[in-house]
Amino acid sequence: MSKKHKISLSEDELVLALRNHEKIAVEALYDMYSSSLYGVISRIVTDTAIAEDVLQETFVKIWHSFSSYSTEKGRLFTWMVNIARNLAIDKIRSKDFKNQNKNQEIENNVTFIDEQRNTVYKPELMGVKDLVQTLKPEQKSIIDLVYFKGYTHVEAADELGIPLGTIKTRLRMGIQQLRKHFN
Amino acid sequence: MKVEDLKAYIETGILELYVLGDITPDEKLQVEAMALKHPEVKAELDAIELSMELYAKENAVEPSEKLRGRILGSLLINLGDDNNLTAAPKHEESTEYEEDNIVTLPARKENNFYKYAFAASFTLLIASSIALVNVYGNLKESKDQLIAITLDRQKIANNVNLMDKELIVLRDTSYKIIHLKGTAKTPASVITLAFSPAKKKVVLDMANMQMPKNDEAHQYQLWALVGGKPVDLGVFDAKGDTANIKEMKSIASADAFAVTLEPRGGSVNPTLDQMMVIGKF
Repeated sequence: MSKKHKISLSEDELVLALRNHEKIAVEALYDMYSSSLYGVISRIVTDTAIAEDVLQETFVKIWHSFSSYSTEKGRLFTWMVNIARNLAIDKIRSKDFKNQNKNQEIENNVTFIDEQRNTVYKPELMGVKDLVQTLKPEQKSIIDLVYFKGYTHVEAADELGIPLGTIKTRLRMGIQQLRKHFN
Repeated sequence: MKVEDLKAYIETGILELYVLGDITPDEKLQVEAMALKHPEVKAELDAIELSMELYAKENAVEPSEKLRGRILGSLLINLGDDNNLTAAPKHEESTEYEEDNIVTLPARKENNFYKYAFAASFTLLIASSIALVNVYGNLKESKDQLIAITLDRQKIANNVNLMDKELIVLRDTSYKIIHLKGTAKTPASVITLAFSPAKKKVVLDMANMQMPKNDEAHQYQLWALVGGKPVDLGVFDAKGDTANIKEMKSIASADAFAVTLEPRGGSVNPTLDQMMVIGKF
């Protein structure tokens, strides 16, 4: 999966380059984030062709509305993944998509995708996999529903039949767990 | 804000929801304001964001290789447009990119519920109206039938009533049955009447009357002959379809009965050359 021309910049460099409309910034943006964003999109939109369209729409939107992003608001990826998730959800809720009848039961998608594809292992994340496995399944399922599927925590509570308070606690505990593991 | 308060704020889990994008626009502004004001909140937020970014990386899915060219192409063409540069790199499939350049952003999720709900309500309304009209039609038909049946019943009741009267006349031994026979003018005519001197009643049997039909200008008149003088007993029509008996004017005694054809309403004296039937008592 490694590409000889993959470009990587620090986040600050990237943001600056993007503001200056530098060509290299666009390539770096794609190389640094496309697989992470596509990971989210393809868990919501299972049809590959449509998911690829959504990824393209995501980058176009990021590019066009970049002026509305500011580093004060947080990390670049947080801002971008929200754009990607919203576009993907809009897509599966759109008339066109529904008419295509290609959508699968949304709840099944996370496992479906993970069964269908091998997730990419980044060298810098070697060893992290094991740590993530220590994330409790009930924490992981909630994080995945909200982060990858775009469920609100209220919808996740409904879906899993768990009280809202418990959902919030598990989300927070799960993310605490992730923080420990990644640090 | 005190340190404990900040801690409590952090522990509400709102920062996690912020990073997960599961937050209202108002809450979002609030979190951003808090992060600007309080470095502790900002640090917490950064840590959450980073861990979620790494988690996303962990779950990354590599898009197909050719998508890179397509997307970069469309972005770089935008870049060229935006900067009025000719720097857009050449790509083998560049014409294809140009077509892809314009990307329709997906329409916001439309809420079709009300559309469908309206359509459904409207359909229901139409269906109900049709059903109502049908039911009304049926109801009207039933009412008409009921009226017809009621009328029939009344008719039958009347007939029974009249037949009862006939029976009373026939059973009453004081009645004498008299057949008035046709004169030379109408030899085929016959009228049957019952006369009760005791009750001073004269009853005509209309059902078995065999008389030529009278026209609108004329009526038959019944006379009693008492001591050679005619006494008016009333007029009647020979309709042919009447199935009942008709009580005429009362009289205590009579030698004979006769019927003449008179102008409608009857005459004071009988027109003798129009005598139709006659019968002695």
